Amino acid sequence: MNGSIAWGDRGLDKRWFNTAAFTLPRAGTFGSAGLNIIRGPGFQNLDATLFKSIRISERFQSDLRFEVFNFPNYPLLSNPATGPRPANFGFITSKYAERNVQLGRKVRFLNYVLHPIAGAAGVLALTALANDATVFREKIEPILKAHCAGCHTGPQSQAALSVASLADLLKGGKRGPALMPGKSSHSLLMQFVRGERSPRMPIGGKPLPEATVTALAAAIDAVTPVAQTSAAGKDHASWVFQTPVEPTMPAVKNAAWVKNPVDAFVLAALEAKGLAPAPDASKRALLRRVYFDLVGLPPTEEEAQAFLQDAAPDAYEKLIDKLLADRRYGERWARHWLDLVRFAESDGFAIDGERPTAWRYRDYVIRAFNNDKPYDEFVLEQLAGDEMQRRLAARGGNIENEGLLALGFLRMGPWERDTNFDAQLRLDWLNEMAGTTSQVFFGLTVGCARCHDHKYDPIPQKDFYRLQAFFAATRIEDRPMPHLDIEGRLAMRRRLRQLEDDLESSNEAVKVLDKALKSKLAAAGKKEDEFQKLLGDKDSAVFTADERKQHKDAAERVTKIGLEIARYQPLAYSVNEVAPPAVMDVEPTYVLAGGERLARGEQVEPGFLKAITGNSEPAKIAFPGRYRSGRRKALAEWIVSPANPLTARVMANRIWQHHFGEGIVRTPSDFGLNGDRPSHPELLDWLALQFIGNKWSIKAMHRLMLTSNTYRQSTRHTDAQRSGEVDPNNRLLSRMNWVRLESEALRDSILALSGGLNREAGGPGMFFHVKDEIAQGFQMFKWYPSDETAQRRRSVYAFQRRSLSMPLMEVFDAANMSESCARRSVTTVSPQALTLLNGELTAAESRRFAERVMELVGPDPARQITKAFSLALMREPSASESQQARRLYEGRQPGDALTRLSTVLFNLTEFLYLE
Amino acid sequence: MNAEWNRRNFLYRSLVGVGGIALMDLLNAAPAPPSTASANPLAPRKPHHAAKAKSCIFLTMLGGVAQMDTFDPKPALEKFDNTTLDWTGEKRTDQPELYTKPRLILKSPWKFAKYGQCGMDVSELLPNLATCVDDLAFVKTITGENGNHPAATFLMNTGLVLPGRPSVGSWITYGLGTENQSLPGFVVLPDYRALPFSGSQQWGAGFLPASYQGTMMQWKGEPIHDLSPASKLTDKDQRDQMELLRALNHAYLDGNFTNPDLQGRIDAYELAFRMQTEVPSVLSVAKESDATRKMYGLDDEMTRSFGTRCLMARQLVEKGTRFVQLYTPSQSWDSHTDILKGHAKNAKEVDLPIAGLIKDLKQRNLLDSTLIVWMGEFGRTPDHPADLRDKAGRDHNTKAMTMFFAGGGVKPGVTVGKTDDLGWKAVENVYRMRDVHATILHLMGLNDMRLAHYHAGRQMRLTDTGGEVIRGVVA
Repeated sequence: MNGSIAWGDRGLDKRWFNTAAFTLPRAGTFGSAGLNIIRGPGFQNLDATLFKSIRISERFQSDLRFEVFNFPNYPLLSNPATGPRPANFGFITSKYAERNVQLGRKVRFLNYVLHPIAGAAGVLALTALANDATVFREKIEPILKAHCAGCHTGPQSQAALSVASLADLLKGGKRGPALMPGKSSHSLLMQFVRGERSPRMPIGGKPLPEATVTALAAAIDAVTPVAQTSAAGKDHASWVFQTPVEPTMPAVKNAAWVKNPVDAFVLAALEAKGLAPAPDASKRALLRRVYFDLVGLPPTEEEAQAFLQDAAPDAYEKLIDKLLADRRYGERWARHWLDLVRFAESDGFAIDGERPTAWRYRDYVIRAFNNDKPYDEFVLEQLAGDEMQRRLAARGGNIENEGLLALGFLRMGPWERDTNFDAQLRLDWLNEMAGTTSQVFFGLTVGCARCHDHKYDPIPQKDFYRLQAFFAATRIEDRPMPHLDIEGRLAMRRRLRQLEDDLESSNEAVKVLDKALKSKLAAAGKKEDEFQKLLGDKDSAVFTADERKQHKDAAERVTKIGLEIARYQPLAYSVNEVAPPAVMDVEPTYVLAGGERLARGEQVEPGFLKAITGNSEPAKIAFPGRYRSGRRKALAEWIVSPANPLTARVMANRIWQHHFGEGIVRTPSDFGLNGDRPSHPELLDWLALQFIGNKWSIKAMHRLMLTSNTYRQSTRHTDAQRSGEVDPNNRLLSRMNWVRLESEALRDSILALSGGLNREAGGPGMFFHVKDEIAQGFQMFKWYPSDETAQRRRSVYAFQRRSLSMPLMEVFDAANMSESCARRSVTTVSPQALTLLNGELTAAESRRFAERVMELVGPDPARQITKAFSLALMREPSASESQQARRLYEGRQPGDALTRLSTVLFNLTEFLYLE
Repeated sequence: MNAEWNRRNFLYRSLVGVGGIALMDLLNAAPAPPSTASANPLAPRKPHHAAKAKSCIFLTMLGGVAQMDTFDPKPALEKFDNTTLDWTGEKRTDQPELYTKPRLILKSPWKFAKYGQCGMDVSELLPNLATCVDDLAFVKTITGENGNHPAATFLMNTGLVLPGRPSVGSWITYGLGTENQSLPGFVVLPDYRALPFSGSQQWGAGFLPASYQGTMMQWKGEPIHDLSPASKLTDKDQRDQMELLRALNHAYLDGNFTNPDLQGRIDAYELAFRMQTEVPSVLSVAKESDATRKMYGLDDEMTRSFGTRCLMARQLVEKGTRFVQLYTPSQSWDSHTDILKGHAKNAKEVDLPIAGLIKDLKQRNLLDSTLIVWMGEFGRTPDHPADLRDKAGRDHNTKAMTMFFAGGGVKPGVTVGKTDDLGWKAVENVYRMRDVHATILHLMGLNDMRLAHYHAGRQMRLTDTGGEVIRGVVA
């Protein structure tokens, strides 16, 4: 049946279309009629306005307006009724306004944004304002006048909303602001007009024609978004996306303070505010600071004395060199990187299965820091270690090829192993890679552009998918990779062989036991298929409790050895290119509307960010061979090319952050427009250029920062009040920031002080002890703690299970490994106090520390107290402190008293903070 | 919302970004929590307006409860049971994958009856809660934004689908402090069989000071980890230790006032120390009568976990804890398949304990001063994938969810909102999660627009740009 009617048969008193072609859908179902299948009479309107604006003064403007709406006075018919009421179904029941002539005078106040601003920002704001006024007058006001003003103007406005001016809309009514500048879909006005909120507006009338709605939305989008009118935003964009240029050294008054150029930049900013830097930190404070910064552990007594008594002018520089050459340096700094790459040795999600060889990536990172692997090489390996062996080998620095291990970076995110939905899992992975790569290496939150164009940065949605396409040829795969000499190849092989022997004998033991128990089963007249059930049945008399336990232990031993064996396999937790010869036809990448897998839009090729390159050309990828797509290699090379304005800055800023407590940009993985503004942009540029100039040596950066006078400042300014007032958040670095020990450094220090720290490096992680009630909360995996000595290894070697972390790590803000963590939070809460006062670590190590002190100084309480203080705090106790500590000895054995004192020392603020 | 705030709000909006930052302090009408380091951040503070509710118990049904099987009966489901719905033309964003396969309507496996003077419909799944309906106020039209558990749970707790924002409990203790300084102000009681996704991030303080983050307690063994020393210490040992620690830390603070966190550490230790004695004495099941224990279902293995935690919630609230949040196990209500078994089990685990909690609060005259909120992260669909007919369940649904309020300031025995004939989509008086938040804050005496914290360049709120108080449930 045809739903349309000949033109002549239509009219105001007749139906507009053939209503017999439609019927109501069955209750609870949705009809089959699509959107926009009925064409209405159309809408042609001509309005005319004459107006004259007269500026009365700087603050007032008078508008005289003569306005005619529907100038030719055509009948403007609205659409026919399509609702289910039979009476008017198909009829046109209303029309828009007839000719309407109005004369108006309006006085406008212009100063309300001008008052608090001055200079360039003011001019900019004014320009934006003038544009917005035009947009409102020309695009928004006519529509609102025609459809909304009836109820929404004047003192009787419905819902207290007036639509008379842009300011009124911004002010809004009972429901809040009606208009969000630049964001039509967020604007209440649009939501009501579109019927996304009820009641649909205009209330009681016909919904606005689609074209009007679109025009209105476009107009609202054209109003200048408030946040982006700031001049600072534009300046920032021109800084972020431009390659750093060598800044000129700023002139300073107090040139004597400038030890290296870092100081010049910092001092110039301080002097501009009339501030002097803080005095030098004490030698003791500096010693502690530098030890924790570089190796994450306190100096031993001998190390401390060696420095404190070294009167040579370069004693401090020598100390830095010594610590940078220390193996513990890599263990400390790898942790920062592991936070960034969301390193974990399990999958997360419901099952949280183990990644038995993921530890090899952790050791790779530790080696990279210890060997001062050039940062560009470090990046290249982690993104494309499989694709660039030749280039890396040619550099000569890399004795053993670690490329396959480095690629573990690509697989460190959470992974829902137990999904029956591979396509989505793959997409999630691709998304995660695009997002994490951009955050970690070039400090942009590209992930925001997955569903829509970036709200703040000039990153269109398309660029997210162009970036994602670099990973489209990559396949998740554990790859054979013999243990390297540096990983202890022979020891690994020996251990594996031993474990295999153990497994064999354990299996044998289970078999023997099974046989014996099964004969018992038969004797009891039970069937064999009841064997497992009866073994777990406490109430059955077939097996004794002893037998059940024996069997359980034997079976568990097999499981445990099986887990161990997996950890020693010569495999790299790595990736490969899609199976050859499929490399030629890699799955195409599409822009996905709203980020949804099935909502495929335009197909895209791998390409770099337009915000940086200035174009949307596909990346030039030299086709490297049948088994390689060359995509990740192209991406990695772009990231580390000197033309990339962000890579060096972002990493320099991260190193700075770990030395100074805060970055020059305090959102270290978001350099975008919504991120923090650099406190010292020129300094950061200078550091970035130094970084590149020093062949991306991270250790050179440490030297540069640590030898500056800025780093050597005290946390206390001589004029604390002024420093606090002028520089409340210490953005200018008028003093050193207080830094709390991170959870790992805290735990490692306690173990180091008690003498119990196991310094074994590398290899599969250690499994710490957890309370039974916690371990039992996990149904999906069994947790077998390592032996006690192994449990005392440094925290970086603790097995990283996503769903189970060490209690101390959890309460002291260790990174949550669900996503890249660039900056840990520092919270102060009571559970920390409970864990550090009452927890197992403190209990065991306080006792151990007390024993060590007694061994060192004998039974004299005074000497014990002095020794305990100087070991833990690197200073002797004051007379009053000694006296107070002495009270613990009343009525206690010296060993017990000293144990209590140790607990107190581990809980001291002074112990937890670096001055 | 008063006129003055409107004006200020407008001014603030007009000025931000063009140099108005300096005016921020002037305009900020939030009850500023003490800024000096020495003031106790958890000291009780005056609400914005008078309110009956002094504390809140939030009962979180993780996984998502099927509204059409509990409180929102849909006869049409019976009629169209086992038929195919035509979803073409409907944009499905909850779980788009599910809608690529044919689906069948599922009638509720449970019978409904009317209860109480208000005549509320309740299914036979919740026989005990059914006897409380005259104390409850239902909203059937809560909508969400994201159909994934973690995101939806974040939305329910923090107003945003992403991690990192302060949770409702944090905002409320930030606004009101807490009454008892020996107990945490915001307590979380999860089920240890399965913690919520992202664990403690769900009750984190986000950008608010850490004093406002939730403290997790457990119902078996020690209520708080490391509450008592791992090495058996005498009371004197602990006191002496604490005294020395306090003296040394105070002396250090005096010489180092520039570190803002030092006082916070001292406060944290004081609270920890007080908790050691206070918590075990408050949370003692033994001191309750047999009748009370029975009321909460402590005598039944099935109800013991949730029941004990409901009882703990009452004990805490009685002693002045501001906000207590209970969780069922992660995804417990998530019956994609075999809803018959899944929902029956979950309903049984919570039905008696919640009814017991409401009745117990009432008999102790505490219901008037306690706000109870019951909800999950989203509702469920009226249909299911056709190939799973044998073990039919229901999928995630962000378009409608039923929740209830009870207690202080709540209008009892009412129902707000209507869903369509299938219970799939809220159609009348539709509310968002932020409206729920605005309502909770309102009932606790806080105005959602005024409860703000300046962070990352703007005033942050639980309801962001503001929610709408669900007036229908407010007495």
